[in-house]
Amino acid sequence: MAPFYKYGFFGDEMSLILAFVLGTGFGFFLERAGFGSARKLAAQFYLYDMSVFKVMFTAIVTAMLGVTYLGWLGWLDLSLVYLVPTHLVPQIVGGLVLGVGFVVGGYCPGTSVASLATGRIDGFVYAFGIGAGTLVYAEVYPWIKGFVNSNGMGQVTLPEVFDLPWGLVVFAVVLIAVAGFSAATLVERRFGDEA
Amino acid sequence: MKLPALTTNQKLATVAVVLGALALFSVPHRGPVVTLDTRELALIVDKEVDHVTPSELAAWIVQGRSDYRLIDLRAESDYAAYHIPTAENVTVAALPEFPFLRTEKIVLYSDGGIHAAQAWMLMQAQGYRAVYTVLGGLEGWKDDVLYPALPAQASGVERARFERAAALSRFFGGEPRAEGGTVAPLPMGLPKLAAPVSSGAVSPVAPRKKKKEGC
Repeated sequence: MAPFYKYGFFGDEMSLILAFVLGTGFGFFLERAGFGSARKLAAQFYLYDMSVFKVMFTAIVTAMLGVTYLGWLGWLDLSLVYLVPTHLVPQIVGGLVLGVGFVVGGYCPGTSVASLATGRIDGFVYAFGIGAGTLVYAEVYPWIKGFVNSNGMGQVTLPEVFDLPWGLVVFAVVLIAVAGFSAATLVERRFGDEA
Repeated sequence: MKLPALTTNQKLATVAVVLGALALFSVPHRGPVVTLDTRELALIVDKEVDHVTPSELAAWIVQGRSDYRLIDLRAESDYAAYHIPTAENVTVAALPEFPFLRTEKIVLYSDGGIHAAQAWMLMQAQGYRAVYTVLGGLEGWKDDVLYPALPAQASGVERARFERAAALSRFFGGEPRAEGGTVAPLPMGLPKLAAPVSSGAVSPVAPRKKKKEGC
């Protein structure tokens, strides 16, 4: 029965309304996690506050378990869920560019909007930067098009790439997350005092 | 034995690990059995929204659109002799195992329309929604695109339409019939495979780069 949009349970307008509701919820919880503040986000890179890592990995694990169980129950057709096609090298380069922007600006695109919504000036500047950067990207796109579209692997998932059972990958990611949380707590103890 | 007191985070982590371990046995993908909404399917068939006309398809190919996959359901030898440009060959027997994505738009065609329609039903039964058939199949492609005919007493509108069809026909290596006003007999053969697209001699619109070539 899900995804609802693909099965035609609601149309474009309804999906835009739902996008607004979900986006507001997303922004609310970003703010509640303290991610509306660049100080909190920058702390991630100085290793004395690993909240970003913990919150994001928790979200990944929660969503992954959710879709796995919904798919298992037959309520969600996973093959109908749109996946962004993988272009490995261009996406690694893009990730590094985003990472540099994250460290320099103190926000990622989502958190900058949450920060903007609470009236922070640096959030406003960052959001303006996103707009300007998007414009520049669109203008230089004809020259970098070949690179952006190189390495195309299509819509792939980890179980497909590594030829492993779905459940095994789910379990492995949960274990990696739990190990990561423990390690993050240790790192916070080690660097937290220096701050 | 007394359990050690756990923090909230540790409890949540434990729940995640347990759910993750249970997920080891999960089968989150649908098996071959699905429920079909027969009324919905009947409506689709009735309203004929599951068709793509040969002319529409020809326009897509000329525009170089790559948001769909064109599938030739005929035997390999037939496919080798002639196929609609950009088509991939997947026989009906091989269809259930072919790794289509269910988010892809799939356009099927066979010689007439029967195999394509049956394959359409098979695809529906496997949960593929965005499946279409070429109206009239390869015969329709021949009649409408490769060898379009001008009616004997054609009106101005029909003549204009024929001019456009004639340009498309030459683009795909066909031959428009009855340009002088008399209807010539239908040529029985099909154009050589090398002729379409690559020639580009009288292309109505310059073809952009094809996404899938030589499949």
